[in-house]
Amino acid sequence: MSTTVVTAPSRRAILDLYAATLRSSRAFSSYNFREYFVGRTREVFRGMQTESDPARLRTMYADARAELGVLRRSAIVNQLYGGPKLAVEVHAPAQEDTQQA
Amino acid sequence: MVGVDSSSPREPTALAWSTFLLPTKAKVISPQDQATTPVDPRVLDAMLPYLTDQYGNPHSRTHAYGWEAESAVEDARKHVADLIGADPKDIVFTSGATETNNMAIKGIARFHKEKKRHIITTQTEHKCVLDSCRKLSEEGFDITYLPVQQNGVVSLNVLENAIRPDTSLVSIMTVNNETGVIQPMKEIGEMLRKYRGIYLHTDAAQAVGKISLDVNEMNIDLMSISGHKLYGPKGIGAAYVRRRPRVRLEPILSGGGQERGLRSGTLPTALVVGLGEAARIAKQEMKRDHARITELSDHLIQSINAQVEHVVRNGDVNGYPGCVNLSFSYVEGESLLMALKDIALSSGSACTSASLEPSYVLRALGAAEDMAHSSLRFGIGRFTTKAEVDFVVSHIIRTVNRLRDMRCVLYHQPSRSSSESVPSPLWEMVQEGIDINSIDWSQSQH
Ligand SMILES: Cc1ncc(COP(=O)(O)O)c(C=O)c1O
Repeated sequence: MSTTVVTAPSRRAILDLYAATLRSSRAFSSYNFREYFVGRTREVFRGMQTESDPARLRTMYADARAELGVLRRSAIVNQLYGGPKLAVEVHAPAQEDTQQA
Repeated sequence: MVGVDSSSPREPTALAWSTFLLPTKAKVISPQDQATTPVDPRVLDAMLPYLTDQYGNPHSRTHAYGWEAESAVEDARKHVADLIGADPKDIVFTSGATETNNMAIKGIARFHKEKKRHIITTQTEHKCVLDSCRKLSEEGFDITYLPVQQNGVVSLNVLENAIRPDTSLVSIMTVNNETGVIQPMKEIGEMLRKYRGIYLHTDAAQAVGKISLDVNEMNIDLMSISGHKLYGPKGIGAAYVRRRPRVRLEPILSGGGQERGLRSGTLPTALVVGLGEAARIAKQEMKRDHARITELSDHLIQSINAQVEHVVRNGDVNGYPGCVNLSFSYVEGESLLMALKDIALSSGSACTSASLEPSYVLRALGAAEDMAHSSLRFGIGRFTTKAEVDFVVSHIIRTVNRLRDMRCVLYHQPSRSSSESVPSPLWEMVQEGIDINSIDWSQSQH
């Protein structure tokens, strides 16, 4: 912990964080929020995969960790007050996989 | 490329018309983004502590909760300032853009009323700007309502010609809420630099957080910001009021002198924090949001144009892509809206969507009365998905074609309200190649 200024987070750590963030994003009950956060999570972590500067990567990782906390709480609140399903999500296939950069 | 692939057994275009009209509890689509935006869950998360545990008064510095609240408010002020290139000290929290517009326009006019009695604005401003001006004209001020060009953009020459020695304020909105038209604020600011003592105010409610803005680069003295247009809460907004050189205005509220004396009253900490977080996120996400919204907007316009004829895009094509205003010829606006009522679009402006009156904004762009009537505004925002756009497009196409095929009679103006008006199967005539606008309706009725 003490002299890790330039140590980048491990690949393993990043993947774990990615999985946890995706899980929280999928937990939103509101269609629009869910789609947005799933798409955005993919983009953010794709960006981390291609980042070569360890210092930048550390910052990105720290930001993503903080954001996971926000998403976890937000998904719970969203579930507590979830509204009716939208017709678009009832009738349309999940956009998740088609929403892209 | 993307999209609901056609192999899907449940693609939205395959839906029967009746599905949409079922009295289902399901909301069909998220609300349009110009009227209001949903609160971003990240914004709510930032606010919750201040609605639960952190209930201190931000102005009371004598106990810890007060300190906490004060520092949260100051952080928020900084986030709002950063989004528009301002100094945090220049930001005053208000209840929204309506209040800020009132405060700026009436405040400047009344403060300088001994020497200056003229204000310039445009015909396409939001109602709260126009109504503040109307109030001032009752108080004896002269107001010039500038016309706009056909694309909705105000001409710099027309503006410059309207300037008088006793002009105190020019108020022009950055992005129009009905058409998405972007005014050339930088050029306007540059031009006004030549004239001393004229303040420039802009209603940027629809622009802040969506396009990049810099009050110094644009030479703006006052700016109106609204929380619920950038995924923040309703009931909070901000005014940018330049301190250097100092902009002097008469406050509307008298009281405890909070917010530099410009806006007395205890600040709603949670709402302020929400606006701040919304501003922080908007800055962080602006590039990505803008790219996605542009992509969806292009997709919307191309899909509709590919499948329905006689669609007119209202306003400058280089406007904000998240606001698309289309007119459908030979369809009566109200029938269109009724048929689409499950979809949260609005015919004309959101606040006046219940009114039968065609949009004054579109009329100022020179749209014919019937076109102003059959216009729909599409709002695309951070949380809009491609499936929703496809859903809306297929819905619109089916509705417009159905209404036209029904030979839905349309009472062409000017005989719209007259008792001798003759219902005319306009669409049929168009298909026969008759130019509707060339017909002299008053003659043909005898
Ligand atoms: C351009 C513009 N100005 C002002 C307002 C009013 O904002 P608020 O609801 O924050 O008072 C709106 C929204 O309704 C708007 O679109």
